[in-house]
Parts: sequence; structure tokens; C-alpha cells
Amino acid sequence: MCRTICYNPTKHKQSRPPLSVSSGESSWKVSVDKMSYKRQRIRDPLYNLIEFPADEFHDAMWQVIQSPQFQRLRRIKQLGFSELVYPGATHTRFAHSLGVFHTARKLMTIVKEHLDKSDYQETKAQRALAAALVHDLGHGPYSHAFEDVGKRLRIVMADHEKVTDLLIRQGDISNALNKLGGGFASDVADVIKKSCPASIYGAVVSSQFDADRLDYMQRDRLMTGTHHGAIDFDWLLSNLEVGTVPHGVDRERVGEIETFVLGPKAIYAAETYLMGLYQLYATVYLHKATRGAEKLFTELLVKVIELAGNDSVQKTGLSQNHPLIHFAKNPVDLECTLALDDSVISGALSMMTEAEDPLISDFSKRLRNRKLFKCIDVREDIAKGIRLRLSKKSIDSKIAKTHDPSVGGANQANPDRKEKRRIDALDRACNAAEKSLIAFAEENRETIPKVLIDSPGRSIYRDFEESKGPLNQIMIRPGLGDKPIDVASISQVIKAIAPFKAFRVYMKDGDEKTKTTINQIIEKEVKRCRC
Amino acid sequence: MPVLNKKTDAEKAADIIRDAGGRVVGRTRLQKMAYLLEITGLGSDFSFEYRHYGPFSEELANAVADAQLWDLITEEEKTANWGGSYSIYTAESSTPKAKVNPARKQLLELGIDANPIELELAATAAFLKAVEKVPDPWEETARRKPEKAAKFLAKAKVLYEKLRSVQTPKPLPAI
Repeated sequence: MCRTICYNPTKHKQSRPPLSVSSGESSWKVSVDKMSYKRQRIRDPLYNLIEFPADEFHDAMWQVIQSPQFQRLRRIKQLGFSELVYPGATHTRFAHSLGVFHTARKLMTIVKEHLDKSDYQETKAQRALAAALVHDLGHGPYSHAFEDVGKRLRIVMADHEKVTDLLIRQGDISNALNKLGGGFASDVADVIKKSCPASIYGAVVSSQFDADRLDYMQRDRLMTGTHHGAIDFDWLLSNLEVGTVPHGVDRERVGEIETFVLGPKAIYAAETYLMGLYQLYATVYLHKATRGAEKLFTELLVKVIELAGNDSVQKTGLSQNHPLIHFAKNPVDLECTLALDDSVISGALSMMTEAEDPLISDFSKRLRNRKLFKCIDVREDIAKGIRLRLSKKSIDSKIAKTHDPSVGGANQANPDRKEKRRIDALDRACNAAEKSLIAFAEENRETIPKVLIDSPGRSIYRDFEESKGPLNQIMIRPGLGDKPIDVASISQVIKAIAPFKAFRVYMKDGDEKTKTTINQIIEKEVKRCRC
Repeated sequence: MPVLNKKTDAEKAADIIRDAGGRVVGRTRLQKMAYLLEITGLGSDFSFEYRHYGPFSEELANAVADAQLWDLITEEEKTANWGGSYSIYTAESSTPKAKVNPARKQLLELGIDANPIELELAATAAFLKAVEKVPDPWEETARRKPEKAAKFLAKAKVLYEKLRSVQTPKPLPAI
């Protein structure tokens, strides 16, 4: 086989052989390479063709894709329970991973154009591209909802980053990657595990403009059918540059690092990008019904795993040899972890409806028939209550103002501070309401919980540092030759985008007593609110 | 604030700052100090996971935010010389020294005086040994944080030995 004849791990690890040599032995190698490697194409709903040219690198990537571990991603939906809200959102992590690889190659061409030919390192680029392809390998069934189960039960194999790391470093994936050189697989795993994007190659996989985000924002929008969250992808890429920014820890400077920055003409595209992310969080990723289903799923799986771990498998409705029971009994076993996917869980729901355990029986029926718990948006209700109170107060204060000219002066002079006080007051009220609801849930602990509490929140930025710094911001070069600055410092729109926060309670429909209690807690906090 | 019998997470977070003398400079420093307390049996039951910057507790980060909401602590954001920003946490008062567990006090004092990058590397190595069972945590720390390790790893090792010399209920792992 030519691959055996041509393959030289040491040589390949340092630098890739030239592909366009026209004489001697190298020429022979190239022609044989081309004969042995097969060009592959995949039709993608977002990008149309994703191509894998006939060369050694893409052949290795193709081998990765053919592995059972990668094929498993066909059975893990990208958006989990979002399809209960958006029926079209049945796309998988398989399609997303291919899309991330495709986008990463586009980003890498920007890197290549930026770096001098002598500075561009093909091996580092290939590591990052491979990392883009395999970054999601370790996701479990219903992705993030399964991670919540792991956090509750302290199961390390529910952590997708841990499983991804293991899969890259061993078995079929590792074998396929190591065809590109001994230790290549390990290097790929390190790219994903690095403390923060350590170089511009790493920024392709992990930065404010990484391939993962650029793909999922477009793909999730397309597949859900939502018209929110559109981004100007081509314009963004066309204006993406490589810039140097400082980074540090607390007060201490660490050094400088190369990352993606935007050119001066991309300010509006940046605004659309960040607004788009915000809208996707609000309308898709943290949608109240999706989160409600995830809450039921988490409770359901926690119960099944706990019962199986306590030798009470017969109460779960599942057989002893069901993959979920195997996993419950061997939570540190990689094979048992990989045996789980969305189809295994959704297929088990009908069996679980027959479970002796009331929670398992009830929640599996609810998930199967989309009869979710009723959502009460506590944050929204408290905010409405406060607004109502303030509007009444405002009418009163207008009357009072005719007698007292000092009323309203300080706050109006600084609307930012006033707004911050209101948000703080709302946060405080939600925080207090959450504590009351937790206390209520604990006092009324029953086989089936009366309330399920959810308080998700997301910032539009990816966090790479614990303190704010350029790596946690979108940097833009305001003019030719200027140093990159935080885009929020020149865009009022971006400056105004606060992290998305929600606080919701889910309860059984028709449980009027619980509903009354929740409403009383909301009313109490509205009254107590000082704003 | 609702009255509960046990301390809330916000109060536990504020306690760390109070026990450290009432002032902590830097989010990273606070996170790593809290992790060292946790791993040595002197903590408040915050759970930590590995993030880009080593052991990190989302629970603690949320608790710190809650502590600010309830005026248990204040956070002041300052601009750092390198262009980013850093936080200074202040509690209204510090816990009287005699009331703080001596080992907890010693660990916190070391954390307060440490360079935050060295503290991050030391806490990362401890996490890699204790949780990920990495045979050579310093080597792995250097692999994951090459730029920081190049300048600060040697001093981080010295700091770690000082931290390890404190008599804690659970000793820091030998690395």
C-alpha cells in the first residue's frame, strides 16, 4: 500500500511534504498519494458541499468520521429537546461537527493569509482543524441535560469534555489521527484542553469567533426555522483579521496573544452577531419549554440511575441489560457511556412509562407525550409587578413634583445608574424568591416534586479569563493601523446587551395550591422590592 | 434576605473574604484560594471543575454575585496595567483573627500574598493530582498553560510547598 511506503511519521509531524514537486521520488509519491486517497464530498444543508480533497490529512479526517465513535454523533441531536418547540430542530452533532470543520478551514485561510509563508505552520493548523472536527465527540444523550445529571450525581463520564479527551487519546479516533504522525492525537486533545487559545491556531477552535459558534449560530437558526439570530457570516469572515492582544490574571500581565479581531468595516456585523447570540439564547437555547423538558429529563435520569445503583432495577421499568442500567452500574466505564445516545433514551421512554416508581412512570409519559410541567416565569412576573408599582409611583411623584422641585433630579442625570439599581433590585427579588421556593420544595418533598426550579443565565461572550480582558471581548480595529479595542466601547448597541437571565418555576398543571404559593412568593418580593 | 438556619452560599463566600482580612484582590485569586480551602477540608462545600484557568466553581461565582446583591461584600472593578480589568472584593468587616481556624487563616494569608499566576498554577497542579489523578501534575500544568508556566512554574512550586506546609485537616497532595 502506498500509504505504508510513503508514510514517515517523524517527517510528517514536523512538516508536510510538498504536493507539487515535479521530479524524482517526490513526484512519484504525489502521484501515488493522489491515486490512493479518495476525494469525498458531503452535502450539507447550510454550506452545500463540504469537500474532503484527496490528500493524506483529509483521508485521516475521513477515517475519523467513519469511526463508530464519530458515527454515534448521528444519534445525538444538536439541540436536544428544542425539537419539542421547533419541530425542524432534529439536526445532529454529526452534521454540526462537519460544519465546524468546514468553517475552521475557512478561518484557517485567514490565518494563512495573515502569517508569512515561513511562519505558517501546517502541522499546527492541521491539529486545530482536527480538533474542530472532534470537539463534540464526548456528548451524552441530550447533551447538556445529561451533564446536569452528571453534576447532580457526580458522574465524571457525563462530562463531555472528559469523554471527548479520552476518545481522542485512545481507540479508533486516536488510531486514525495518529496516521498523521505519532502523538498527533494527543496534540489534538491538547488543543481542546488548553487553558485558553494559546495561539492563533487555537483561536480557530476557541475564541469569540471560533468555528463552533459560527457554525451553530447559523445551523441552529436554519434548522429551527427561527428568523431571529441572523448573522452576516461572509462579511464577518471577510473582515476578520489577526491581531495581538494582551492577557493577564487579575492585576498581573501574562503576555500577548494573537487572536481574531474585526476590521473597521465590521462594526455593524459585530452588532448583529452579538444581538443574534442574545436572541438565540432567549428564543432557542433557553426557551422555557425546552428547559422544562430538560428539567423533567434530569429528574427522570437521576431517579433511574439512583434506583439502579441501589439494586432496584425492577422499579425503573427497564431490563437488567438496558444500556442505561449498565451505565448506572458502571458509571466510570467508557463503553457503557458511549452506549448511551438520544435514541437509546427516547426508545426507553415507553418502557419507563410502565415503571413501578411513580416519578419515572409520570415523567417518562410527560416527555413522550410532550405534556410538560407548566412554567411560571417568576423573573418576568416580578419585573412586571415592579414596573406596575413604579408606574403608579411615577404618577404619584409627578403630582408631588409640583410641590417639591428636587424630586427626580439625581436619577435622571444618570440613567445608567438608575437602570443598574433596578436590575439589582430585580436580581435581589428573584434571589429571595428562589430561596423561598427552595424552602417550599424542601418542606413539601414528595415522590414527585411539586416544583422544579430553573435559573439559567448566559453572557454573550465566551469566558477565557476570570477577569474581564480582551480575550473575553470582541476586539475591533477602529481604523487602519489602530490597536484593537473592545467593540462595546464604540457601540452603544453592544454596550447595552446585558447577559440573558431567567428564573422560572415548573409545576404540575392544575396544582392550584402550589400555584397560589408561587404567586404569593412573587407578590411578597414585589412589595419588598426597594428600587 | 430570608432567614435560613444554615449559612447561605452568599454568606459562605463573604466569609472567605472576611476571614482573609476583609479584602481580596482578583477573581482568580478568590477562586483559587477557595479551591485550596476546599481540597484541604477547610472549605464551604463549593464544587469545583476544571476550566480554562484551572479549578473553578460556578457555585462560588454565583455566591459572590449574590453576596454583592445582599450587600455582604462589594466588588470594585479596576483597570489593570495590561489592559484588562480586575476586581477588588471588600467585606464590611474582617473576622477577628482569633475566631478564624488557624490553618484556614494561614492558607488564606498565603493566598492573599501570592502572585495570582503562581497561585493559579499551584491550584491547577493540585487539582490535576487530586481529581484527574495525573501522574506528573506539574508537567501537565506546563503543557496546558505553556506561557504562564514558562515564567511562573518554578515560583508556583515554591508557593505550593509553602501551602503544603500548613497543617490542614486534609493535607494537600504531594506532587
